[in-house]
Amino acid sequence: MTTTDHSQATADAAHTDGVVVPQGSRGERFTSFDVDAFEQPGPRDEDYRFSALRDLAPVLDEAAAPADGASVEVTAPQGVVVGELAQGEAPRGTVLVPEDRIAAIASAGTERATHVAIPADAQLTDPIRVAITGRERSRSHLVIEAGTHSEATVILEHRGTGAHAGNVEVIMGDGSQLKVVSLQQWDDDAVHAGTHHARVGRDATYKHVAVSLGGKAVRLAVTAEYGGTGGSAELLGLYYSDAGQHLEHRTFIDHNAPQCHSNVAYKGALAGKTARTVWIGDVLIRAAAEGTDTYELNRNLVLTDGARADSVPNLEIETGEIEGAGHASATGRFDDEQMFYLRSRGIPEDRARKLVVRGFFADLIQQIGVPEVEAGLMQEIDKELEHFSEEPA
Amino acid sequence: MSTPTDNAPAQTDEEIIASIGGYEYGWHDNDAAGAIAQRGLSEDVVRNISALKSEPEWMLNQRLKGLKLFDKKPMPHWGSDLSGIHFDQIKYFVRSTEKQAATWDDLPEDIKATYDKLGIPEAEKQRLVSGVAAQYESEVVYHQIREDLEEQGVIFMDTDTALREHPELFEQYFGTVIPAGDNKFAALNTAVWSGGSFVYVPPGVHVDIPLQAYFRINTENMGQFERTLIIADEGSYVHYVEGCTAPIYSSDSLHSAVVEIIVKKNARVRYTTIQNWSNNVYNLVTKRATAAEGATMEWVDGNIGSKVTMKYPAIFMLGEHARGETLSIAFAGEGQHQDAGAKMVHAAPNTSSSIVSKSVARGGGRTSYRGLVQVLEGAKNSRSNVLCDALLVDQISRSDTYPYVDVREDDVHMGHEATVSKVSEDQLFYLMSRGMDETEAMAMIVRGFVEPIARELPMEYALELNRLIELQMEGSVG
Repeated sequence: MTTTDHSQATADAAHTDGVVVPQGSRGERFTSFDVDAFEQPGPRDEDYRFSALRDLAPVLDEAAAPADGASVEVTAPQGVVVGELAQGEAPRGTVLVPEDRIAAIASAGTERATHVAIPADAQLTDPIRVAITGRERSRSHLVIEAGTHSEATVILEHRGTGAHAGNVEVIMGDGSQLKVVSLQQWDDDAVHAGTHHARVGRDATYKHVAVSLGGKAVRLAVTAEYGGTGGSAELLGLYYSDAGQHLEHRTFIDHNAPQCHSNVAYKGALAGKTARTVWIGDVLIRAAAEGTDTYELNRNLVLTDGARADSVPNLEIETGEIEGAGHASATGRFDDEQMFYLRSRGIPEDRARKLVVRGFFADLIQQIGVPEVEAGLMQEIDKELEHFSEEPA
Repeated sequence: MSTPTDNAPAQTDEEIIASIGGYEYGWHDNDAAGAIAQRGLSEDVVRNISALKSEPEWMLNQRLKGLKLFDKKPMPHWGSDLSGIHFDQIKYFVRSTEKQAATWDDLPEDIKATYDKLGIPEAEKQRLVSGVAAQYESEVVYHQIREDLEEQGVIFMDTDTALREHPELFEQYFGTVIPAGDNKFAALNTAVWSGGSFVYVPPGVHVDIPLQAYFRINTENMGQFERTLIIADEGSYVHYVEGCTAPIYSSDSLHSAVVEIIVKKNARVRYTTIQNWSNNVYNLVTKRATAAEGATMEWVDGNIGSKVTMKYPAIFMLGEHARGETLSIAFAGEGQHQDAGAKMVHAAPNTSSSIVSKSVARGGGRTSYRGLVQVLEGAKNSRSNVLCDALLVDQISRSDTYPYVDVREDDVHMGHEATVSKVSEDQLFYLMSRGMDETEAMAMIVRGFVEPIARELPMEYALELNRLIELQMEGSVG
């Protein structure tokens, strides 16, 4: 249950009639800009029971951060307008209305949000880069506006240390095409709680890619909803969790308009004691969303003992008039047969293992569609694997 | 739907409502016992139930402990809307007849008539079952087991009698699979349980034909709290089948059973439920089995009736090579919410589990699959596969899938897949071009959809299921 249910404590009294009415669907969550409207989450809260709550404490504490703690630097090709938005200044807050304490804190803790506006009909060949560098306790709020029929790529590079709460609000015009790649390249001790919320315009195409390799604890909530018919949203994710790392991804596709399409694919590997990953994939098809076509997939590859992967694909469907809806989730060790095949060809075990892991991620990486990110990623994964093979088996 | 005319045989209101809703089991008998039963729950009610049954002290203590836990435990704040349950209105114990009958003819006339209408004595006569227990309100009113099974040491009796006749076995296993404090409704059941089946199958004995239990609620605002305990000793096999119906009333009843099953080494138990409560019954049931080394536990769970069902049969695989299987099928029509699923806990190496869930929602009904697969540390080389398919036949129905997976071991294979689809126009068109009307075509598509599960049912239940699908689908088109 969300933190918004204040009636729970009183409703639990014995012998009284059962008055707890569960939340009807994922779309009925409480939202507010007021941090105090959200209680401090506990380990029994449905939305936090898989989370690294102890690590997340600094991003859940409103008082702990100075205003505008993070450095946000935007490098953009010509034509892109970079500015600032004060609290409550539109379009800030029109799409991302916080539905949990973390997002409310990131919003309230950022006096001046960074505003990146891509003009209508612009076709940008070079990506827009946003470098977000965390310090001790930092907050940020970024608003990306894609004009109608524009085409652009935004690469978010999260680096540094400390505890960071960051919001990314994406507003897409009709027919626009936008890729947002969020790279979590944090130092080993960093904590990151991010909320990325997009509204996909009519006939617009949105692709969001989350790559989480660094950081001690990362909790990323990625939401896409639709502003009109014919929109398409693709959420891709890749994560690699080492010993002591807790990487959590929560995706939510809100099919609130007819004839829209969505695809979610997240793949992750875990290596080392106490490596932990969480993937919660919510899809809600509202009664109005006839003709919806959606699929979600999550695959986890557990490489060593003691790692733990949680995978929950939730599907809520309120109309039967859909094209199709499905999800698949699998967690397992790599395929013994593949290993056997490679070994039988004389490839040593550690190398064979690398090949299998590379193969596991390859098809996902190819879907990203941003060449420089694709090239860098395979190297990053090789690096992770080297690190892993150094550990005693 | 036909309406009664003046010269038609007199029908009660309930019968007319039942025929409109397509629910065939909605009649109720004369209800003298229910009328005098006390409503509400208190320590006195619990002590009374225990005293009426002349129970030993330890059982009374268990009940009182259950009551305390029930008071303390919160209502579940997830799943279905349970705000319609009024614990103070419920009749917790209704004794319908003074003594258990040994033949159907010994039963009071209207109770016997009820079971005749349900076809239970006929099934017994035809030897389709090897044992029958019939529970009416709070107690088992009829019970019989095939002589040769009894000679082999198979025990099949109502749970109250078992407590008197097999106290050692009973005390050894009661509450060991589902402790009193497991959840609010398990605690409630522990406090006020009555009736249910007790089955013990000795080592190596195969009970080749199913044992059958039939649960019937008759009175209004009834709370039925049967308690079933099945122990399959090493290398044995038993198939237990239960069915449930109730009359249609304007106010709600509560059915909250606890079923505990212990499957010992290399034994196999199959437990089949065809739940067809009327649409005013809250069905909140806790079912759990433990499977020892090499043992197999299978739940075949059909949920067709009830207003709200929350039921997640669980299998704890405690020994190596234990196997768990759940086949779940749910239909939700107007005003119904079937929140059903399964829970698999892999606690030993080389265990395997499989969950197959199929659901159909129509007429604004809601089906939810809610499941958990948990692989504990040390359960190496475990395998689990979960398949959920949902079929939506109109625009106003709803289907949800909430599959939880918790893997704490690397050497496992875990898969989950779900699809939700609507009945395709092409399929309908094809069948209708072959001369079927739309309802028939729709029913045939739905039957095809649930066939993989239906074929696992005993024959007469498979037929029953097909008939129920047709009833459910009636009026679903157009």
